[in-house]
Amino acid sequence: MQLPFALIAADRGVRRLYAADAAAQALGLYPGQKATDAVALVPELATADADPAGDLAALNALADWCVRFSPAVAPDPPDGLFLDITGAAHLWGGERAMLDDLLDRLAAAGVPARGAVAGSAGAAFALARFGMDRTVAETGEEAAVTAFLPTAALRLGPEDAAQLARLGLSRIGQLVALPRDQLARRFGAQTLLRLDQALGRAPEALAFRRPPTPWFARLAFAEPISAPEDLGRVAGDITALLCRRLEAEGRGAGRFELAFHRLDGRSERLSVGLSLPGRRSAPIVRLFAPLLEKVDPGFGIEAATLVAERVEPLAERQTSLETLGEIAPEDGIGPLIDRIANRLGEARVWRAEPFASHIPERAVVRRPPFAPRAAGDWDRGRPRPVRLLRRPEPIEAAAPIPDDPPIFFRWRGQLRRVRRAEGPERLAEEWWRQPPGQTSPSEVRDYYRVEDETGARYWIFRAGLYGGAAPPKWWLHGLFG
Amino acid sequence: MPLREVRLAQARAQIAALASAPASSGEVLAFGDARVDGRLPGGGLTLGCWHELAGEGLELETAAAPAAFAACLARPMARRGEIVWVLRRDDLYAPGLAGLGFPAERLIQVCARDEAEALAVIEDALRTPGVWAVFGEAEGVGLVEGRRLQLACERGSAAGFILRRRPYGGRPLRTAGSAAATRWRIAAAPSEPAPGETGLGPPRWRVALERCRGGRTGAWLMEAWEDQDAAHPFRVVAELADRGLAAEAPLRRAG
Repeated sequence: MQLPFALIAADRGVRRLYAADAAAQALGLYPGQKATDAVALVPELATADADPAGDLAALNALADWCVRFSPAVAPDPPDGLFLDITGAAHLWGGERAMLDDLLDRLAAAGVPARGAVAGSAGAAFALARFGMDRTVAETGEEAAVTAFLPTAALRLGPEDAAQLARLGLSRIGQLVALPRDQLARRFGAQTLLRLDQALGRAPEALAFRRPPTPWFARLAFAEPISAPEDLGRVAGDITALLCRRLEAEGRGAGRFELAFHRLDGRSERLSVGLSLPGRRSAPIVRLFAPLLEKVDPGFGIEAATLVAERVEPLAERQTSLETLGEIAPEDGIGPLIDRIANRLGEARVWRAEPFASHIPERAVVRRPPFAPRAAGDWDRGRPRPVRLLRRPEPIEAAAPIPDDPPIFFRWRGQLRRVRRAEGPERLAEEWWRQPPGQTSPSEVRDYYRVEDETGARYWIFRAGLYGGAAPPKWWLHGLFG
Repeated sequence: MPLREVRLAQARAQIAALASAPASSGEVLAFGDARVDGRLPGGGLTLGCWHELAGEGLELETAAAPAAFAACLARPMARRGEIVWVLRRDDLYAPGLAGLGFPAERLIQVCARDEAEALAVIEDALRTPGVWAVFGEAEGVGLVEGRRLQLACERGSAAGFILRRRPYGGRPLRTAGSAAATRWRIAAAPSEPAPGETGLGPPRWRVALERCRGGRTGAWLMEAWEDQDAAHPFRVVAELADRGLAAEAPLRRAG
C-alpha cells in the first residue's frame, strides 16, 4: 500500500503542508495544515520539502511537451496549463478525442491530471478544477455549465473569495443573477472581470510559451520511427506540407522549428533560419539534414511538428527580360548564407557597413547580409589599413622631436626604420559618449602612416600628449599591406 | 586481351581529359600590361580557377599585403556580382578595403572557426551561382582539397583567391604541390610619392608569379592606380629579375 505523502514549506516560521496527495487528503490532511499537526494525525505520513522553482521548471517542461497538441501552450503556475486548440482539434477528430488523448497520455506517463475544453480560458479553468473531469463545453454555453460550480473556480483573490463566502454566495450562478453594477460596487472590478472572463464575455491575455501561430504542421505515425532515413523523410514531408500552405497564401517564413516528439515524452528540437524569407521546401530540408544526425530517437518518435516563424508576405518572383541572365539572390547567395549561418552561427556571417564615428574601431558595424543598407558611404579621404588589429599592440618607438613620427620602432621583436611617414591625424575621444569630466587628454591618439625600408606600411599612434602627467605611449594598430 | 586494352584506353582517355587544362569559362582578368599578361595563359588571370597568394616573413601571419593586392585585383569583378571573404581571424578592416576602391559594403564576410571549416565554406561559396569571387584565408591547401576547390570553381565559374595565412607563432606548413592555377608571392615595396609631394605614395608591391599552369613565371613591381575607376587596377612599374626575391628574404629575416 502506498504511504500518504505531503510536501512541506515553511510559511512565516511555521512549517505547513504545501500539498498533499490523494491518500493523505483521504486521511483528512489538507494544504495549509501545520506539519506537526499532520504528523500527529497521520504518523506514517511521508514528507518532503516543497520546491516551487522545480515545480515551475517541471510545468514548463510539460508545456513544451504539450506542443505536440498545439503550438500555443500557456503555463498557469503553480499547476495548470492552458492550450489554445483553435484549429488543431480536427487533427484528432474532435475536441473530445483530443482531450482524451492528452489526458490518457499524461496518465500513462504518471502525471495525474484533469482537463476540460471550453470556449473561454476562465470556463475551462473552472471546469477542469471543479467540474466533471473531461467536460467538453461548447462555445456559448459557459454560463450554463459553470452555474453550479463554486465561486472559488473564478480565480479570485483571497479577500474577494472570503467576502463572497461571508455573504453566502457560493455558486457562480448566484453571482450571475446579481445586478452587474451592484456586483462591481461591492466586490470590485476584478471580480467582475474574472466572472466575465469565465463566461467568455471579456477577453483574456494568456502568456503563451510561444505565440500562437497558424503556421503549424504535424505528422503523427502509426508506429514509432527511429531510423535516420525515416527522420529525413519525415522532415521532407512535413516541410513540404507547411511550404505548400505558405505558397497558397503567398507567404514566406524566416525560421523553421522542427520538433520530434519521442515516446518517453521528451522532444528533440531543431531550428533553421533563412536570411531571406522562403517557402521552397528543398533548400530548407537541406538545412535540416546535418542537424538530423544529432537527433536521439530514444525508444522511437511518435509525432513531428513544424512551426514557421517570422512569416511575412512574399511575392511570386517574375522573370523579366532584364533579369533573365542574372541570378537572383534567392537562388544563389541566399541559400549559401543560410547554409553558413546555420552551420557556423549567425554572428559569423556579416556585411560591413560604415558608421558615423571617427574612432577606427567604431567606424564599422556588422549587419546581417540581407539587412537593408543604411545611407552613408565610406570615408575614403583618409587612409585606413586593410588589417586592423583587434587590440593595438605596444611598440617601442624613438621619436626625437615631439609631435613627429618616430624614426624607428620595434614591433614583434624586429626593428623597423621609418623611411616615409604621413600624419599626424589626431583622433580624440568621443567626449559626448562619456560622463562629464571623464574625458582626459591621455585618450588623444595621434595616428601616423609610416613605411619602413622594406616598404611595409603600418598604422601607428601615440596615445597621450607630451608634457602630460604620463609620458606618451606608442601603439601599432593596423597594417596597410 | 582486347577487352582489357579497350578499358585501359578508356581510362587513359579519362585521365587525359581530367589532366588537361581546366575547363574554365575562358574569361580572364587582364592586368592590362603585356609584360604580365603575356606570361599568363589566355592573356590574364583565368576566372573559374583558384589562385594562391602568399606573403613572406611576418606577412605569412598577418597576410596584409596579399589581402590588399587581392582586393585591388578583384576590384573589377566586385562590381559584377557577389564576393565572399572567408576569414580565420576577423581583422579585415572594411574602410581600408574601401580606400583601395573595393566596394567593401557589398562584401560578405565569414569567420570560420578552423581550417577545415574555412575550406568547406570556401568550396561551398565557389560552387554557388551568382558568386564571382571568393577570398579564403587558409593555412595551406593540400592536393585533395585543391582539386575539390578547382571542381567547385568550374561548377560555379567563380574565381578563388586563397590567401596563405598561418596562426600567430605557428610553424609554416609544408604542402606537397598544389592544385592552384597560379601561385603568387606578394610583398610590400617602398612607395614613391609623386615629385614635389611628401608622405607616402600609392601602395606598391613586389609581385612574384612563382607558379603558373600553362604559362611562365615572372616578377614585377606593381603600383595601385590612384584613379580607382581605371580599367585595370595596377600599373607595372618595372619587371624584376625572378631570383631577386628569393635571395633577399633570408637576409632580412636575420637582421
